[in-house]
Amino acid sequence: MTSPNRVLSGAIVYPGLAVGALITLAPFALGLLTSFTTARQFNTSAPLSWPKPPTLENYTGLASAGFGRALLVTALMTAVILLGQMTFSVLAAYAFARLQFPGRDVLFWVYIATLMVPATVTVVPLYLMMAEVGLRNTFWALVLPFMFGSPYAIFLLREYFRTIPADLINAARVDGANTLDVIVHVVLPASRPILVTLALITVVSQWNNFMWPLVITSGSKWQVLTVATAGLQSRYNAQWTLVMAATTVAIVPLIVLFVALGRHIVRSIVVTGLK
Amino acid sequence: MAANRIRSTALGYALLAPSLFGVVTFLLLPMLVVFWLSLHRWDLLGPIRYVGLDNWQSVLTDRSFATSLLVTLAFIAIVVPVQTVLGLIAAAMLARGLPGSGFFRTLYVLPWICAPLAIAVLWKWILAPTDGAVSTLLGHQIEWLTDPGLALPVVSAVVVWTNVGYVTLFFLAGILAIPEDIHNAARTDGATAWQRFRRITLPMLRPTLFFVTVTGIISAAQVFDTVYALTGGGPQGRTDLVAHRIYAEAFGAAAVGRAAVMALVLFALLVGVTIVQHLYFRRRISYDIT
Repeated sequence: MTSPNRVLSGAIVYPGLAVGALITLAPFALGLLTSFTTARQFNTSAPLSWPKPPTLENYTGLASAGFGRALLVTALMTAVILLGQMTFSVLAAYAFARLQFPGRDVLFWVYIATLMVPATVTVVPLYLMMAEVGLRNTFWALVLPFMFGSPYAIFLLREYFRTIPADLINAARVDGANTLDVIVHVVLPASRPILVTLALITVVSQWNNFMWPLVITSGSKWQVLTVATAGLQSRYNAQWTLVMAATTVAIVPLIVLFVALGRHIVRSIVVTGLK
Repeated sequence: MAANRIRSTALGYALLAPSLFGVVTFLLLPMLVVFWLSLHRWDLLGPIRYVGLDNWQSVLTDRSFATSLLVTLAFIAIVVPVQTVLGLIAAAMLARGLPGSGFFRTLYVLPWICAPLAIAVLWKWILAPTDGAVSTLLGHQIEWLTDPGLALPVVSAVVVWTNVGYVTLFFLAGILAIPEDIHNAARTDGATAWQRFRRITLPMLRPTLFFVTVTGIISAAQVFDTVYALTGGGPQGRTDLVAHRIYAEAFGAAAVGRAAVMALVLFALLVGVTIVQHLYFRRRISYDIT
């Protein structure tokens, strides 16, 4: 491309990109600003004025509203689901990709068929099932439906595992490695990109999950961040400084993750269609 | 040899066991249970009673459910085209590969990474009539979320705002996958930038366009968090998307059997969309979204 051409297209494109960036960022910036404003200033002067002085009172207010516990429950839930989903998806994908046994292909198609089952449809029956076994409002109810692996993750991992050269696995076998050794020492190191991708997907979707935790938990004991934020918003409808602090707490951990791993996340979305 | 096969089979099923338990218990069994529930009456607490097809009859003749389906359709009809066009424009700008494009690309995805519930609460304040950001900036109050004519477009706009960056990524990948040679050949023949976009880029993006549209429809048909926090389905059911209706029916009105019927209707519609998608992709096996 010649340089005059470049300058010209830049003159058209950059303003467009900047407008997009402004529209994307402004709501976050305004919410963040409000979360550091005292309720008194917010109510007396214009709601968009610069916080004078910036305050943490809204965040300390959240602590007494039980947000510390909600943060902990959310982190624990995400961690348990991440660990379970990665482990069990890898095991299943290895069986589908690398082993010969009767029923394998039928089962694989059953897994694929379940991709069509939307969460919106299973929430109601899952609620009944959890209630029947007495798991309503427990930590297990939060994690059980998601921790045994996801068919989509298994599908993607299987595709990836099939590209690993058979020689690599056979060589390990000759050296006396059992299946678990092969998975841990050969397959996993060779699959790092897809594993990072899946881990990110799981963290993002579980951290943000709302409908299921909303339905299956009640009270503050097993409340996750999204449910706590929704509850706060409906209870303190007019206390926007407090509510903005709550949304900030719900959003910031993922933004930090995003800033650290943004390029991986972008790639992951294109590879998987995330969610 | 036989011993080897038995060992391999045992190993295969041992590795599959946890995920198979998950798939059967939390995906397949619920589909049976939801069908079973659709034939029963349950109020979340009391006993479950068999009522035959009563729920089906009452839901399929229910005006509010029909309204909810229509609202969902209107919502999809706004969200999907708008986010697709905006995503295409953003991708066309990013595809120029100007310095900083990577930064903008990443930035645009930010809303999509965040919890939809938190995003909705954030916008609830931004749009609040008395002390919200927009009212303050404009200097007068607008009832964005309680005006029956405005509520659905506004909820749609929030969802579009969340999704555009995500759609952009797919178009960008699609545009960058078009061989530079084709553009060069057209350039040699004297084609303008617009002609090349119209005659080369757009036709070659057809598969991406289809993918983005179908996944857009499937996800828009299930939007819940945004409506829950922004409007609660109001005013007068104008934003009562079907996922929210199912929730409200089961956990608000405690009519679980009716909610099960609605869930099955939604499921049937989504399966229909998915089948159309599969038929299309079967004809275009060369398509690769990575």
